[in-house]
Amino acid sequence: MERVSAGFKPYIMLAPVMAVLLGLFVGGIVTCLLQSLGYFPVIGLREITFKYYREVLTNPEFLRSLSFSLYISMVSSVIAVVLGVFVAHRISRYLQGQTLVKLLYKLPIVVPHTVAALMIFMLFSRSGIISRAIYQLGLISYQEQFPEMVFDSKGIGIIIAYIWKEIPFVAIMVYTILRNINESFRDVAYNLGASEGQFFYYVLLPISMPAIISSFIIIFAFSFGAFEVPYLLGPTYPRTLPVMAYTYYISPDLTRRPYTMVIAVFLTIISIGLILVYSRILKIFQIYSR
Amino acid sequence: MKLRIDFYTSLLFYSILGFLLIPFLILFLWAFSKNWPWPDLLPHSLSTRGWESIADIKFIKVLLHSIFLSITVTFLVLVISIPAAKALAFYNFRGRNVLQMLILAPIVIPPMAVTMGIHINFIKLGLTDTFWGVVLVHLIPTIPYAVRILAHVFEAVGWNIEEQARVLGAKNWQIFLYITLPLITPGLFSAGVLCFIISFSQYILTFMIGGGRVMTITMELFPYVASGDRTIASVYSLIFILTTLTFAFLVDRFTRENYEKGNHFYL
Repeated sequence: MERVSAGFKPYIMLAPVMAVLLGLFVGGIVTCLLQSLGYFPVIGLREITFKYYREVLTNPEFLRSLSFSLYISMVSSVIAVVLGVFVAHRISRYLQGQTLVKLLYKLPIVVPHTVAALMIFMLFSRSGIISRAIYQLGLISYQEQFPEMVFDSKGIGIIIAYIWKEIPFVAIMVYTILRNINESFRDVAYNLGASEGQFFYYVLLPISMPAIISSFIIIFAFSFGAFEVPYLLGPTYPRTLPVMAYTYYISPDLTRRPYTMVIAVFLTIISIGLILVYSRILKIFQIYSR
Repeated sequence: MKLRIDFYTSLLFYSILGFLLIPFLILFLWAFSKNWPWPDLLPHSLSTRGWESIADIKFIKVLLHSIFLSITVTFLVLVISIPAAKALAFYNFRGRNVLQMLILAPIVIPPMAVTMGIHINFIKLGLTDTFWGVVLVHLIPTIPYAVRILAHVFEAVGWNIEEQARVLGAKNWQIFLYITLPLITPGLFSAGVLCFIISFSQYILTFMIGGGRVMTITMELFPYVASGDRTIASVYSLIFILTTLTFAFLVDRFTRENYEKGNHFYL
């Protein structure tokens, strides 16, 4: 659509939203940044220093949390994207039924992460339904034989909960693209002798790539920064970065505060980095598809 | 060979559907069970203990308070997002991309990281532990969705009809009330439902800024999930899902005529 210039008008229209975002959001980030640099007048700290950054970066507990968070986000997002694309493709190919699509669309948004965590706990914990079913099949004879999948140090429960939440999200993002792909593409490809697999790989996949990448970045960033699921389903060690930041923050020892804020700043920087990578990749794809 | 591949892909597809849907069944069973020891696949005995715990005036108060809070958030976020979305849809101006990035940033930047800073600022302003403090902080995760959905709506609607009204001599408020508002109503409702759900689901923002004083349904639910009381947690979860579904359904019903004209698929 053609956009016109109109002097100050658009700025005035954007002012209320910007006031909220600059006042709260950016204001929050700035406060965080100041405290992470050691500016904390309430307890008599006024000198700007990178000391806390150095200390946090050499702290093995922090590095363990960072890699744990990245690992959880990476594994859950890759699996969710692969399965989500599979589901989207399957629905657009075989099921034109709207009921299922609508159900899938509503599922991820009406169920909050707290409830998702509860469901995964009731399904996958040692006393959960799957462990019971396996006992009934005679595969195990007591509870402890069932592998620890919740509160475990590999974060399996957290990963499963994110996959549960994210498959529908990816599926919907990709489905909206696949739904609009002209059916005659398929006829052309098949006429030229393409197999179904080739059609998927050379036609459908490239067209839906921007949607796949967007959904990957969004779910990666979300699972990287979210608190509820790892807090409810994670082990006491290692903790994800948000959980670690939270436990530091509620500690009554105020001298620990700058370290907390350093963690928060790292969370923010990594997320901003993700957006930059994302817009970069999207640009490459726009050039590519021109 | 082909048949076998078909069989395996179908198996995978229906396993995924099962994985997504079976948890709801379990939630339902737990909500009514009294005694359900391992390794039984069905509850021993049923009870209404969970349901009795919500037939309590205190719980109903929290539920209503929670709904009221989220409706306030939804209303405010829509009011400030309409002009912003219109500006992004119709105008070209310096810094447009930067502002757009800033509006979308809360989707990607972790709430945990930002909330600690906001909490400290709010302590100075006396906004912690207050209703309005929580409402304000809920604006952050909802703004990106509201602006994005409404910008799409404005782009789809265009401004020809508004121009016509202007040419015919309508005043600004008349244009807004009689032209713009009716045109964007369906989009306004879908944005509203999403914002309501986002606000309704918030835990960590509400907990940190509300300090446990501003009660919402998610705040009530969280400790039961954490402590593993499956019966009560399941009942609360069902109430939560029912509330959001009812809200979505009512709004859907209300705007059905508009929906039939165009299938909006926003997220």
